[in-house]
Amino acid sequence: MIKQETLERKTFYKVGDFVLEYLVIIMILALVIVTAIVEPRFLTAANFRNVMGQFGPLSFTALGMTFIIMGGFIDLSLPGMISLIAMITLSLFDIIGEIPAMMVGMMLGIALGSLNGTILVKFGATTQAKALFITFGLSQLYGALSQLYTGGSPINRGAFEHPAPLTQALSSGTVGDLFPFYSFFNYIPFTFIVFLVFLAILFIFQKKTRLGRSINYTGGNFVAAELGGIPTKRITVMIYAICGLMVAIGAIVAFSRANVAAPVVIGANFERDSIMAVVVGGTSLAGGRGSVLRTVLGVSLIILLSNCMNLMRIDSHLQETFRGAVLVVAIWLDHRRHAKG
Amino acid sequence: MKKRILAILVALVLVFAFIAACADEPATEAPATDVETPAAGDTMRGIFITQDLSNASQAFSASEFERLMGDFDAEVIIAGGDVADNIANIERAIAENLDFIFINPNDILAIIPALERAREEGIIVGLFSSQPPEDVPDYPFDFFAGSDDVLGGIQAGEFVMTQFPDGANFVEVGGQAGHIAAVSRHDGFRQGIDTSLIIELDYRFVTGPWEAAEARSIMEDFLVMYGDEIDIVWTHWDNGASGVIEAVLAAGIDPTDIFIIGYDGNSVGYQQVLDGYQALSVGQSFTNMASESLRMARVMFDGGTITERLNWVPVDMVTIDSIHDFPWPEW
Repeated sequence: MIKQETLERKTFYKVGDFVLEYLVIIMILALVIVTAIVEPRFLTAANFRNVMGQFGPLSFTALGMTFIIMGGFIDLSLPGMISLIAMITLSLFDIIGEIPAMMVGMMLGIALGSLNGTILVKFGATTQAKALFITFGLSQLYGALSQLYTGGSPINRGAFEHPAPLTQALSSGTVGDLFPFYSFFNYIPFTFIVFLVFLAILFIFQKKTRLGRSINYTGGNFVAAELGGIPTKRITVMIYAICGLMVAIGAIVAFSRANVAAPVVIGANFERDSIMAVVVGGTSLAGGRGSVLRTVLGVSLIILLSNCMNLMRIDSHLQETFRGAVLVVAIWLDHRRHAKG
Repeated sequence: MKKRILAILVALVLVFAFIAACADEPATEAPATDVETPAAGDTMRGIFITQDLSNASQAFSASEFERLMGDFDAEVIIAGGDVADNIANIERAIAENLDFIFINPNDILAIIPALERAREEGIIVGLFSSQPPEDVPDYPFDFFAGSDDVLGGIQAGEFVMTQFPDGANFVEVGGQAGHIAAVSRHDGFRQGIDTSLIIELDYRFVTGPWEAAEARSIMEDFLVMYGDEIDIVWTHWDNGASGVIEAVLAAGIDPTDIFIIGYDGNSVGYQQVLDGYQALSVGQSFTNMASESLRMARVMFDGGTITERLNWVPVDMVTIDSIHDFPWPEW
């Protein structure tokens, strides 16, 4: 009798562990199945293209945030950074050309990210709480600078003198534009390919390089990593620089999706959604554990959630409630995983 | 350590006292009742308290106050922020004994006590672009200048009726969920098409702060759901219409095949109307609102009275045919 009970309990815990580990995949599958039943147009090629297109800016910023959280930190400066980078990059389009302006934007992203990391190191911030307040302040600063730079007015890409083919490609281009051999390619947005390229690079960096692995050690235990000879301060600056680069690419994709970019507004909520994507994916908020591949799952869930709720005609206010609920569930899951070690 | 802190505090007090002694005005404010009634032609001093200055329309309004204040012999301080900042700036106006407050508040009800105190101190209170709530009949204000979002929505709806007398289908990409302007424009449009054959297919509000990219995502989903059935897109802001246009273009549809309406009348909307992508932009004239606010404050400051407290500035219906009748917006 006791043996039977022990066996049942073990089985229960095994099922519980499985659900805990793969809840995000289970949620994605459930969402897909329910939406496909309620709204058959969910499974059309046009919607497939939509979903991949909507991977857009969030996928890049979430990849950057993954390294920050794995390193045991947090970055709330994303809204301000996106705003400042987008405004400066767009303002340079007609002056130095589209591609050089984008390069400037990416360098600015790395510079701002490095500045964030350096400030944290100089201020002795080794915890998420300290990083939270400092980066929040920096977001306000960058946002205000973007407003000063533009005088608070939006920048309208439609009024540019010179064409911006790369931005247009990021906005609505597909692989089919380059390789018109298979009609299937017409459903794969160009931005999705750019995302896959960066995902592959960052995955290799994280898993196959010493520096990449050092991020996990730093996030797992900052003091122990430092005592173990890992250059934790350099790692801190590096992860913020990586995040800065990804934020810059996210900013470029963000302004390419609409013809107009308004300061501050363009970056709104990106810090929330990026953190949500990373944590939902399974990267530990406590640092030390995680992967960019897991973040892809988190991003997929957030994008599908939005797409599915729109297709199922769910009210906008209720959509926000669901998003909040998902974040709470994700943090609870993180807590459970952490408690289990 | 304690001595050092004490020394710093003493030094600060001394510096403060020195600055106060050097100031032109005495440090203690004279009571409001002792202030002489200003003679006509005196410079009036006031503050424009608005919502977040990241909002392009608010930033433009602020710049218009700065541009026009000379015409009315006025000095205008600009202050933006959240509800707490709004209240703090009203307190500041009282403390500095300013002559007027123009305010476009984040929360029109939360500032009532502060505005009451300001009026008790004899400060002229003008509501800017935010009308007084109907359910508060004794709202503390002297005048209002602004356009009516409900009326703007009605006019947009009526315009659509004239364009589609035999009926059509529309989807709505609304502004920030819960925002009073978005709710008013949503309600107004329905009043405007009330007696028509215009049918609503669907509507959705953006969850972020009037973000154009989110408008695009919603429109992309609408195109999957309704495709060719969509004849009209009613968007609550011109920047959002830009996102809608990008979604339509990405779907391989000519934007001129869909009747896209925006709101605001900013330079983005004007450009899209000029390009033929946007059929209508319902324009708000912040220049006229600022000018009217200053004019009415001047009248009251000079001892006159305002006969009409609610000053509705009409919206501009900007189409390809009428666009040249309006000055190009600088925001």
